[in-house]
Amino acid sequence: MTDEREITLTVNGTKRTIEVEPRRLLVHAIREDLDLTGTHIGCDTGNCGACTVLVDDEPIKSCLTFAVQADGSEVLTVEGMEELPESAGDLHPLQEGFHEEHGLQCGYCTPGMILAGKALLDENPDPDEDEIREAISGNLCRCTGYQNIVRSIEYAADELEARAAADGGTSIPDRASNASATDGSDAAFDCGLENCCGGPAAGADGGESRE
Amino acid sequence: MKAAPFEHHEPSTIDEAVSLLESLERPTILAGGQSLVPMLRFRLARPETIVDINGIDELDYLEEDDDSLRLGALARHADVEEADVVADRYGSFADAAPLVADPQIRNRGTVVGSITQADPKGDWGSVLLAHDGEVVARGPDGERVIPADEFFLLPYDTTLEDGELVTEVRVPTPATREGSAYHKLKRKTGDYAMAGVATRLVFDDEGRIETAGIGLTAVDITNARAREAEDCLEGERPSPELFESAGELAADESNPESDEHGDALYKERMVDVLTQRALGDAAERAGVVRTVTP
Repeated sequence: MTDEREITLTVNGTKRTIEVEPRRLLVHAIREDLDLTGTHIGCDTGNCGACTVLVDDEPIKSCLTFAVQADGSEVLTVEGMEELPESAGDLHPLQEGFHEEHGLQCGYCTPGMILAGKALLDENPDPDEDEIREAISGNLCRCTGYQNIVRSIEYAADELEARAAADGGTSIPDRASNASATDGSDAAFDCGLENCCGGPAAGADGGESRE
Repeated sequence: MKAAPFEHHEPSTIDEAVSLLESLERPTILAGGQSLVPMLRFRLARPETIVDINGIDELDYLEEDDDSLRLGALARHADVEEADVVADRYGSFADAAPLVADPQIRNRGTVVGSITQADPKGDWGSVLLAHDGEVVARGPDGERVIPADEFFLLPYDTTLEDGELVTEVRVPTPATREGSAYHKLKRKTGDYAMAGVATRLVFDDEGRIETAGIGLTAVDITNARAREAEDCLEGERPSPELFESAGELAADESNPESDEHGDALYKERMVDVLTQRALGDAAERAGVVRTVTP
């Protein structure tokens, strides 16, 4: 009955193989087997959204899924945000937004809020306030009253748009070329984006490509 | 809380799943898991074996053919929200999908799972009833088609038999002059309905109501039809007075219980109001001039 099964998850771009009992929740696998404690457990009932992660680009509550069900999937947790191309080796615009707009007080809900915000902006780069509130409606915050969380996500949307619109993407390459100066790329110019201008190739870390 | 240990089986075909369900001792089927996983964690359910159907690709569809809109057992609430065919032609489904739970849960939870769980507060059972839908189950003896009217027995209990797997739910494709709607009252995102009403109206060439379907959520021991309200509509032309009568009848037929969300009388009044609104929307969507603006 307690047989463990080997599963492979591509977590934040890196393939990780672990052995889990079928009853192990994905959130416990992430926190305890993979030591990624940025994903929080708030309510244990599927209500609060603190455990939100992206599985194959979709936000789900990792306390309502068994780890074996995510076998073969790509998982993005808050720890992976800084490694995304748009972060250019620094805080992701969403993380920057929560910092700039005071989008957290105790911080417990923040990882889930950031991942819910990430899923929204992937689908809809220019959301209005109602769309933001709908996207985070499965995430509870007991400190902020949500106002600043909405502003934080608006900040990120604006920042991402500004970076994309900047001439030649200057705000990203300036920072990215510093971050990857020693990667041995023989491209003269590196914009830091996956599969572009000498940026890292998809799957370069042995991980599968992220869509 | 952690679930008690269980054996996890992952069939990749319907046939494989059905033979597992036959051979295993009291198995439980896991689809979206958004209700089952908490029940396992709190050990309200403690099966020894779980048949996880998420790997059965042939169950993952939402499609319309000449006769029906068909939802396979792996069609998620979010799939309904995103489907163009639903947005264009199935108002009640389009209304209900975004009102289920919250965005994360809609990405995983399934329509078939929700109906099969038979929680009287579930939204989809009412929609299925209003549309005269069907539940398709596969068991050791083959396929069985169960009319929605004959599916729900008690809270969390249906006429499914041991060893049967629901593969699909389906509703008839809309007639030329048909409209449907779903209205739900709840305090906030993620809550179950305090009351919900699904309606479907089919009109004849002269603008009379030929068929009416009304399904009620959270106000009886199962999702239930409001038959007297349906009867009072059929053969009549839509009017505010007619929809008021139907609302009153639906309220009379409902059997809500008082709880922390409201007392029974309040919920009955809400059934009345929601019925009138959902009938108004259905009539409007059928192309009949809106007659009620409650």
